[in-house]
Amino acid sequence: MAVLEIEGVSTFYGEFQALYDVSLKVEEHALTGIVGANGAGKSTILRTICGLAPARSGSILHNGVPLERLSTFEIARRGIALVPEGRRLFPAMTVLDNLLLGAFSKPERESREKRLGEVLKFFPILKKRKAQLAGTLSGGEQQMLAIGRALMGKPDIVMLDEPSLGLSPKMVSHIYRILDEIRELGITILLVEQNVEWCLKKADRAYILENGSVVLEGPGKELLSEEGVRKAYLGL
Amino acid sequence: MTAGSVLPAACAVAAAALFPLVVRDPYFVHAAIMVLLFAYLATSWNILGGLAGQHSFGHSAFFGIGAYVSTILFIYYHVPPLVGMAVGGVVASVISIGIGYPCFKLKGPYFALATLAFTEIFRIVVTSTEQIGGIDLKGAAGILIPLQPGKSLLNFQFSGKTSYYYLILVMLLAILFVYRWMERSRWGLYLAAIRDNEDAARSIGISATRYKMIALAVSAFFGATAGTFYAQLLLYIEPALFSSAFSIEILLIAVVGGAGTLLGPFLGALILTPISELTRTYLGGGYAGVQLIIYGAVLVAVMMFAPQGLIVPLKRGWRLLAERRP
Repeated sequence: MAVLEIEGVSTFYGEFQALYDVSLKVEEHALTGIVGANGAGKSTILRTICGLAPARSGSILHNGVPLERLSTFEIARRGIALVPEGRRLFPAMTVLDNLLLGAFSKPERESREKRLGEVLKFFPILKKRKAQLAGTLSGGEQQMLAIGRALMGKPDIVMLDEPSLGLSPKMVSHIYRILDEIRELGITILLVEQNVEWCLKKADRAYILENGSVVLEGPGKELLSEEGVRKAYLGL
Repeated sequence: MTAGSVLPAACAVAAAALFPLVVRDPYFVHAAIMVLLFAYLATSWNILGGLAGQHSFGHSAFFGIGAYVSTILFIYYHVPPLVGMAVGGVVASVISIGIGYPCFKLKGPYFALATLAFTEIFRIVVTSTEQIGGIDLKGAAGILIPLQPGKSLLNFQFSGKTSYYYLILVMLLAILFVYRWMERSRWGLYLAAIRDNEDAARSIGISATRYKMIALAVSAFFGATAGTFYAQLLLYIEPALFSSAFSIEILLIAVVGGAGTLLGPFLGALILTPISELTRTYLGGGYAGVQLIIYGAVLVAVMMFAPQGLIVPLKRGWRLLAERRP
């Protein structure tokens, strides 16, 4: 079943059109990937879903409920968490405060301590760094904190915007292992990546974006073996 | 407040309480009142500008509203100014929500310009309005507040300057307490998140507009109470209270001292207000304009050497001093 259905969405930044009639489906418990070159509109799709860059036309359904008219904070409270590009933490706050802010809404505040324990078990390194300012963490740790903050809100969909950006290959594979574990918790993942090979290997279903339009879609491994994709994105 | 900062805080409050007993010259007491008043105003600005990171260029609007509301209530409806002060604060809060709603749709410099424009609208409307209903606003001429026979707190009129001094000192301590309380509360955490990165705050479910509105309304309330105090101190109000230059002065005090810190605005007032008061007195006659040059030079120096505000190097120095002690 599709938990998120995007149908014919066009998004503009002022006069500039960033997305042209984009349609995609995110299946429950699956990992859906969006790949494409710089400026293809990958991040814009995520920003459109969570209302930071509202769509001018088209529809976005979350479990059948339209999201287009909701504001960002309402969408977040429906269980759609964004881990933004460049990690976007609150650098002047401690690791602990960053995590606690992730469990924002009233019902969540009650189970917050329990949730915090679970997330810290997930990311032992964050437990060690609890009292440290978020801005002083290494790149990989910041990425883990950003994911941890998203998990604090007990989301059913986590959207990640280029989690591998600026990280060492070792850290990237660590982050990707974490994504596998998140899936095992039954959380649906929508992943935007520039690392095409890597994303297609993982994705149950993937979309390739060019100049704001979806040009190809299919199971990740199938796309990976396609001649055109290998030429254009992998240089093979 | 940590144990290490209780002692200096207690010393500062004691010194402030003893000041008018030691210094008898009414001029210096008046200058000290102005320092405390500006510290109070800049702290009220800091609730929005520091905690929420929304730099308003229109704080004088609330100051003016407070002064006019309590004065009109006093003259036409015989409401004691102490009550008028609270009413003025509430009126300013309500108006601030009306201003905030459109302005918070804008960000950064656009937000600042919108608040500046609103203040100018108030100034122009009040300047050019002689009468509303049966109430004489007297336009540009301003309104004189009549002296009352009974000197009392309720009437907000006292025989000496010293009472005003203690009153504003208590008000300042109260607002510093409110600021610290907000900063440490759940609201403070949300506001800090909004200040650090509004998009990120919204995408974890924080209603940025709602919390910015709360900060604005609290900030406006206290800004207006400062207006009533000022009106009762000088017993005269005029449309210049709404001026944008005055808004910028409030903002500068907070920024020079350290926006987003508890004592930054107080420190800013302690430095900038005497400079503008004393230079105006001693240089204002023969050397008109020189005070502005000095004021400007101080601003340039602060922006070059302590862009986070003077409280930052001061705190560092204090910590070094504390560590050196055995």
